[in-house]
Amino acid sequence: MDASLLTENLSYILPEIVISAALIIIVLFDLIFHNDKRIIPYLAVAGLAVAGFFIIDQFSFEGSAFATSSSANNFGMITVDNFGSFFKLFVVCVSILIVFFSFSSEEIQKTFDRLGEYYALIFGMILGMIILVSASDLILIYLALELLSLSSYVLAGFTKLRDRNSEASLKYLIFGGVSSGLMLFGISIIYGMTGTTNLYLINPLLQAPNLNLITVSFAMILIFTGIGYKISSAPFHFWTPDVYEGAPIVITAFLSVASKAAGFALLIRLIKTTFVTFTSPDGYWQLINAFDWQALLIIISIFTMTLGNFTALWQNNLKRMLAYSSIAHAGYLLLGLVVMSDQGLTAILIYFVFYALMNLGAFYIIMLIANKTGSEEIDDYTGLGSAAPFLGVSLAIFLVSLTGLPPTAGFIGKLYIFIALVDAKMIAVAIIALLNTVVSLYYYVRVLKHMYLQKSDSPKDAILPSTGQILFILILLVPTLLFGVYFTPIVTFAKNSISLLGF
Amino acid sequence: MTIYDIIFYLFAAITVLSAFLVVTAKNIVHSAFYLLFTFFGVAGLYVLLGADFIAIVQIMVYVGGILILLLFGVMLTNKITSVEIKSGTIHVLPAVIGLGLFAAFVLSTMMTTKWKSNPAELPFTTVYDLGYILINEYVLIFELLGILLLIALIGAASIARKDKE
Repeated sequence: MDASLLTENLSYILPEIVISAALIIIVLFDLIFHNDKRIIPYLAVAGLAVAGFFIIDQFSFEGSAFATSSSANNFGMITVDNFGSFFKLFVVCVSILIVFFSFSSEEIQKTFDRLGEYYALIFGMILGMIILVSASDLILIYLALELLSLSSYVLAGFTKLRDRNSEASLKYLIFGGVSSGLMLFGISIIYGMTGTTNLYLINPLLQAPNLNLITVSFAMILIFTGIGYKISSAPFHFWTPDVYEGAPIVITAFLSVASKAAGFALLIRLIKTTFVTFTSPDGYWQLINAFDWQALLIIISIFTMTLGNFTALWQNNLKRMLAYSSIAHAGYLLLGLVVMSDQGLTAILIYFVFYALMNLGAFYIIMLIANKTGSEEIDDYTGLGSAAPFLGVSLAIFLVSLTGLPPTAGFIGKLYIFIALVDAKMIAVAIIALLNTVVSLYYYVRVLKHMYLQKSDSPKDAILPSTGQILFILILLVPTLLFGVYFTPIVTFAKNSISLLGF
Repeated sequence: MTIYDIIFYLFAAITVLSAFLVVTAKNIVHSAFYLLFTFFGVAGLYVLLGADFIAIVQIMVYVGGILILLLFGVMLTNKITSVEIKSGTIHVLPAVIGLGLFAAFVLSTMMTTKWKSNPAELPFTTVYDLGYILINEYVLIFELLGILLLIALIGAASIARKDKE
């Protein structure tokens, strides 16, 4: 690769370069200035802001970088398109919120002298995710997935103060090792059949006659194992409750939003670039007749949301309950993909924006309460409505939004998914999803019942959040309510972000 | 059956058999030594595929580095050799059925699939080409691997470090 080609290629991956540079600056800063760790979070925010600037700069710009000599049409390993930029921006915005989230987390502040390591690992996750959403080569996909997983294994057990912390980390590692091994096996089968790892080149090769379709299906199911583990869809969800409960709440929130989004982006890109021949004028994708993604995804999504919602009914730990609720939400999100249309994809993007707001908000308030009471058990929430009026009301709004009731943003997210389903004439699936939503109402409202309707035996100490914390809650709370009634900007933004390179 | 087939099955048998012994051995030192044969068998398979550089790296890094480190770790840790490793088996029947079906499925798909093969002659040495490709076409992957290793290093240090309460 000569110098001019290299500089051209590098200009496509400026956000990734900024994140890597920020990672190395944080590590070096931590090594050189031992005693001044307070600056590190600000360095992290600055790095993320610069990366965010370059991502916004890349919007409405399409291209492909790092082509290998064997790849025709110049389709390389990294694809820059609006779809990728949307998810990159999503990841970076969530990460900025997570940095502020960490400020008020007592678990993280207790390990103050390891703050440098903490942010280095967070940046490892971010780098893995933003490469994952734009990678179009199986080797790069696998590597980015490993980078993401490796950082999250360590972060899940970062505080080391409690046993369940290490348990979470170890469980995550073992499940992650198995699923990434299976995924690698699937990738190697695809490479063995097609002789290439580039998604754009696999597409025409899969249309070849006398291809063994059983082997393709087998390989795709194996690859889905790795992705299903990241988005915590059934039957690869076993790690979710234990890890979400054991990990520090900041990391739980990060995993449940950003990591899931990166997994979804990968799944969508894999299906659309590898299996779609063309998009019909009314927005439906024509799939190659090699593997029936739709059937697989219908089964998995129904299974995922039903299992998530029904298991959540019996949970008494709020973090565990939200873990099952996040499994259920993965099911709803998969429904958007099931319809295999641009409309469904738009619905997924809208849902993700709202899901991030309400889920981060719910976890943040649970963390503030746990900072004071040291517990996430639902029984300890009895009477909290009067002890902490602002937190109580905010948590109520976030939980109502997670259920999907108007006038909150969660309602709009679900509405768009259901409209996409109905337009694709999948009424039965839509009804199952609706019934699931009704079930989910029970366990979300149960928390409210404990907070407001039950009298606690002993008077609770008042929990007064600081001004900064109130501000952070408002940043999440105001959009959750505002987008519930005025959602046009998000819908327009999502509609502009569904274009993938080449389709 | 050519001589290459025989060599392949020999190395494959060594790998699988010793890997089986690694997980079933009761003594952790024995497990570590069986692992030696697993790595060696895999290195043999690499040689057979014409991947000379990877075979040498396999021997040097895994056998020479990681395994020795592992043995050091085991032997320097107090009482670890006398620890009872719980390697009981539960749910034997479902596991056997499941694995049997999976194995049969894998075997049948592997046998019936038409694999893509390039009838190219083996290069004399792969080191030059490998180095060239890694720093040219796959430079992104090469650099990302560097960051992955850095993260692994930071993560390992973070886990190993003793926390001040």
